[in-house]
Order: sequence, then structure tokens, then C-alpha cells
Amino acid sequence: MSEKILEVNHLKKSFGENEVLKDIHLNVNIGEVISIIGSSGSGKSTLLRSINLLEKPDGGEIIFKGKNVLSKGYNLPKYRTHLGMVFQSFNLFNNMNALDNIIVGQTTVLKRSHADAKKEANENLKKVGMESFANAKPSQLSGGQKQRIAIARALSMNPDVLLFDEPTSALDPEMVGEVLKTIKELAKVHMTMIIVTHEMEFAREVSDRVIFMDQGVIAEQGPPEQIFENPKEARTREFLQRFLK
Amino acid sequence: MRLVKKKITIAVLLMMLSSIFLFPLSVFGAEKEDMANGEFIVGMEAAYPPFNWTQSDDSNGAVLIQGSNQYANGYDVAVAKDLAKTLDKKLVIVKTAWDGLLPALTSGKIDAIVAGMSPTDERKEQIDFSNNYYTSNLVMMVRSDGDFASAKSIDDFTGAKITAQLGTFHYTVIPQIPEVQQQQAMQNFSAMRVALESAIIDGYVTERPEGVTAQKANSHFKMVEFSQDGGFQTSEEDTAIAVGVRKGDPNLAAINEYLNNFSVDEQNALMDKEIGFQPMSDDEHQAWYRQIAAIAMENADLFIRGAGMTLFISLIGTIVGTLIGLLIGVFRTIPESENKFLAFIYRIISFLVTAYIEIFRGTPMIVQAMVLYYGTALAFGLNLDRTIAALLIVSINTGAYMSEIVRGGIFSVDIGQFEAAQAIGMTHRQTMIKVVLPQVIRNILPATGNEFVINIKDTSVLSVISVSELFFQGSTVSQQNFMYFQTFAIICVIYFVLTFTITRILRFVETKLDGPDAYVPISNQMQVE
Repeated sequence: MSEKILEVNHLKKSFGENEVLKDIHLNVNIGEVISIIGSSGSGKSTLLRSINLLEKPDGGEIIFKGKNVLSKGYNLPKYRTHLGMVFQSFNLFNNMNALDNIIVGQTTVLKRSHADAKKEANENLKKVGMESFANAKPSQLSGGQKQRIAIARALSMNPDVLLFDEPTSALDPEMVGEVLKTIKELAKVHMTMIIVTHEMEFAREVSDRVIFMDQGVIAEQGPPEQIFENPKEARTREFLQRFLK
Repeated sequence: MRLVKKKITIAVLLMMLSSIFLFPLSVFGAEKEDMANGEFIVGMEAAYPPFNWTQSDDSNGAVLIQGSNQYANGYDVAVAKDLAKTLDKKLVIVKTAWDGLLPALTSGKIDAIVAGMSPTDERKEQIDFSNNYYTSNLVMMVRSDGDFASAKSIDDFTGAKITAQLGTFHYTVIPQIPEVQQQQAMQNFSAMRVALESAIIDGYVTERPEGVTAQKANSHFKMVEFSQDGGFQTSEEDTAIAVGVRKGDPNLAAINEYLNNFSVDEQNALMDKEIGFQPMSDDEHQAWYRQIAAIAMENADLFIRGAGMTLFISLIGTIVGTLIGLLIGVFRTIPESENKFLAFIYRIISFLVTAYIEIFRGTPMIVQAMVLYYGTALAFGLNLDRTIAALLIVSINTGAYMSEIVRGGIFSVDIGQFEAAQAIGMTHRQTMIKVVLPQVIRNILPATGNEFVINIKDTSVLSVISVSELFFQGSTVSQQNFMYFQTFAIICVIYFVLTFTITRILRFVETKLDGPDAYVPISNQMQVE
């Protein structure tokens, strides 16, 4: 039995009239790799952003290591250090080079010494295959390179869970591979990850569990074989047919 | 013993530190306006010969102008010296623009106006006047080669374009000329002389001593004198010239007693003597470019000081203004507090900030300078140092503009930058300091450079509160040599060199900050080495 690290209950979120998330339930176990698929506007990105509170949920609870992070007085910045986030548009800090992008969070938030932070940063740069670009500015890097730096930045905070928000959607096709390869390496060492993605082949290969979202609810979830080969729900089938065609 | 020594050391250190801090101020001619007993502070334009003018040495009994390395001399200075002696006080002369004389007196920045000023009823409502110390006649200044050079009476000026100095009775008599085209009144004699020389006007009304001076200084000018019947009708109150003091000034009796013994013959003798002392330029008959070279050489020190003052005020003003702008810009990004009291405080500060920005962007800096400099003296009895006042005005003014520029700068930072910083666990403060502000500063750099250049040019308006910046020095020099084009051509070049150099430097800094477009991976760099 694996241990539960994150639990989402009755999560609701609306943007004005538009109800984007309707009563979402989700459990995440340590070491589990979860892919969230679904069409645009199904709420999968909003779910991910609600989990680390970049969007403030309207109702429900998010329980992390047994404590509700939405309760009053919960240390939000500290919670976020436990969740690494990788964005679709990379969001590297433009005013810093690659190495400093990875160091700054460690020194300001985790209060690590600069030397320790640098050591950690270099290890992770090596892990994503970007060690020779330590001094490059974001503007000098390609999309794929930027995303690998962003992954190294998230990893260096030693998070318990990594969240990926469509990490390859803004990349040119020839760069998708290098990013997916990096994520696969992380899956091999059982990093807990939640990945919102449109790469079906990748989701099938890397995931322990696949969640299909539709119109603000989790329509179906299960092991990749079930979702991709034998979906129970009609709308899952319909989505996959459209997508895999 | 040791403790005492230590204290002394600290005191000495503090003094040294403060002198370092004050050093630039003293170099650029800032002054301490001490109104302690024993000083008789007299205000004058030092630009209205032969009553008062500026010269660069202390010859013929000239008196040092406070806060400068120049000297004032003339009929007024001679009278002021005698008055100070009578009052047994030390004479201090403050160079003040004509419009600034009355406010300077009523706000206590000076003790008396000895500036060729007539005791009109209007002025008497605000200040007291002594008995007369001179009485003059009105004359007309024309071009010596012009149509009106041979005029004999004011009737000969029918249809002419005539003006006079703003706020003087010279201007109010102009309609006595038949069908005259009365022009807009002008700020000072320099402006009128330029207008006359360039044929914008046909003549200006002035008093005889000034006319004699102008004619002597510039052969293009001719003074037209009128006979008793053919001249302007004036009241004695207008042609008389008296010392202005604050209402109820106890020194007035002593001043009057002295002036009662100052006979008309003595007055005329003194006037003739002073007209002879007026500084004359011997460069007049040279080619204009030689004149420019001569003016530049003679006044190099003055111009450099003026340029230094201009740079100093605009640099400090831009830096402080940018800091104000950053502070306000960051304040505006603070998310609304859930604490009701804090949210209330936030709203109040927010209102004040908006008021500050709107007021200082919505009024001219020249007006702000007047209000701040004279207003603080009137309202709070605060006697601001001119340089400090200048720094304050430019800083506050720039701050109002910069806070809007910073707002735009923050706005243009991608939202993803904020989100990535938040996602990493940074607080709002950490996000601002580490991630957003460095990018904002890069974003606003071009606009800040622009503000700096604008400040260099706009500090010229501070001449209204007699800050000795570049434009003020240019006016001073041109009022002495009567060669306006030549002098201001030099000033123009200096301004351009300043702004152009700064623009280039900023461009260089920008390119340095942005770095190269392409990156050479580290392994390759190693191979190169």
C-alpha cells in the first residue's frame, strides 16, 4: 500500500458565470505519476493551478500531508515549496541566467547557503542535460532548453510533488522529445508527478494512472491500459477517437 | 579620558562625513541664508544698469552676491552700502528676479528691496517704502538705424510697436502714444533688448539711466529723450525710486533719516559716477564667432559651474524621482490586505499618492518652484536653501512622472514571472525584489534616461528662484555683455553636449545589460581557452 500525500475534496472553481471545476475528488499517492488529459476548456489546467493555489478555489479542501491548506493561517509560501511547478510558457526569470534561476528560490525561500544551492543546481542541470548552459540568459535559449532549465529549477527545491502544466505545448515538434525524455527519467526514479498533457503516447507510457477530464469533472480515471484501450465512458472514447485520428 | 577622546574622534568623524555630504552643495554655490542679526539682506535683480548690475570682480566697490562668485554694483549697491552702514549691519546682496522681489521681501528672505523700484500704490498695499533716493525721467529706446531714431516727442511714435517691462508703470503709459501697437509686456530688460535688436518691437519705454547704459553698451541702440511737453505724463510717485521694506519695519525711520540728507545734487553725482563704472564689452566690433570665443573664454568658469549645477540637480532629481516612482509603483502592487484596518490605511495612502501624481503632473514646474520656495517661507517660516529647494522640486516632480512610468514597467513584466516566483514559494516582497523590480528597472531605463534629459533642460526654469544653474549663468553673462545671441549660442551648445552625452551613455548601458543574443555553451568556451 502506498502512502497518500495529497487529497482533493469537493474542489470548486468558477470564473464569473463559468463553472470550471465542479466538485473534484482526487487522491495522489507518493511515487505515483498521474496524467490529466481532456479537451481544451475541460478544466485540467485550472485543477492543476488550484492545487498549488495559483487560482484560489471557491470551495472544497486540499489536504497535504494531513493538513487542509485552505484553512486559515496555513503557511502558503511554505506549502508551495513542496510542490514544484513547470509551466507551459517556461516562465524562467528573465533577469537571471540559467544557474541563478535555479539558485534564487533555494537561497531566498529555503534559506540555503549560496554554495549549497549552487551544488544542488549543478546536479540538476546535469540531470536535465543542460550543464553547459549554466551562464546562458533565457533569451539565448531555445524553448526545449528553457523548459529543461525550468524542470531543474523545480527539482532543486526538492519538492514532494511536481506539477506539469502542458510542458510541451509551446514547443516546436523537434524539441518535444528532449523534454519528455527528461520527465520519463524522473518517472523512473518514482518522482510524484501530476502532468497535464496532450501527448497521448507519452501519457500512456509514463503514467501509473490517467485522468480524463470533461466539462469540469473527472469523467473517468484508471490505469493507462484501461483508458486508452478499453475506456468505459462514451465521452472518453469519443475524445480519444478524435485525438488519435 | 579615553571616553572623551573617543567622543571627540566621533565628532570629528561626523563633521568630516557631513562636510563630504555637503561638499557638492558648497561647490555648486549653495548658500546658507542666515538671517541672524547684523545682516542687512538686500534684494535686487543685479541686471538693471546703472541701478544694479553684475560684474565678475570687486572693482569700484562692488559687493559679493550671496551664493555666487560674482559681484553686484551700481547706484542701488552704493545706496545699500550706505544704508547698511547707517544701520550698523553687514550688507548682504541677494540676486532676485524682478517678479520675485516682493514675495522675497514679504516672506522674509530679504530685508529690503533696493532695486530701482518705484513706490506705487499697488506695491504700497503689500510693503512700505522709504523716502525717494532717486527720481528719473521716462525715455524710449529705439534702434539707432531705425525709423524712430530721430523722434522728438511721443507723437512721433504713432503706430509703433512699443512695449515695456512687466509690472512697471513704464508699461501703463504706453497708451498715451497715438494709435500705438502696444505689445505684450516683457519679463526683463534682456528680453526687450533682444526684441528691439531683432526688430520684433520698435522701441521700449524705460528710464533715463537704463537708457544711457543700453546706448553706451550697444551701438545699435539709441535713447530718445523727450522735452517736458512732448514726453509721457507721469506722476511723481512713479518716477521716484525708493527702498522697499516689510510693513512696520523698525529700520524705516533710520533709513529715511539717512535719505533726507541725501540731496538731489548728490544723487545725480552718484548716478553719473555709477554710469561710468558700468562694465562695457570691448568685443562689440569683432566678428560674431570671435565674440562667441571671447565670451566662452572669459566666462568658462561660470559656464562650467552652471553646467555642473544643472547636472547635479537633474541627476539627483532623476535618481530620487526614480526611487519615489519605484516606491509608489511597488506600493500599488501590494495585494489588498484582509485586515480591515490595514486595508483602510492602504486606501488613504493610495488616495494621497494619486493626488500627488495628479497635482505634480498637472502643474508647471516653474509654478511649483515659486509656490514651494516662497510658500514654505510664508506659511511655515521655513527658509529653504535655494539648492535644496531646487533638488526638492525636481525630485518630487520627476517622482510623479516616474511612478506612472514604473506602473507601466511593472505592467509589462509577464504575469508568468509573478506566477513562477509564487509557485517556487516566494512571498510578494521576495517576488518584487528578486524577480520583478530588476526587470522593471530594465524596462524603465529608456524612459528614465528620457526624464534625465528633460530634467537637464527643465532645470532652466529654476532661474525664477535664482538657482545658479546653466540658464541663469547665461542670463547673467548676457546681461553684462548685451550679446544675447552669442552668449546663448554657447549655452545652447553646452546643453546639447550634456544631453547628447547622457543619451549615448544610457544607450551603452542598455546594450551592456542586454548582453549578446547568442550563447556559447561552456564546453565550447573552455576549448577556446
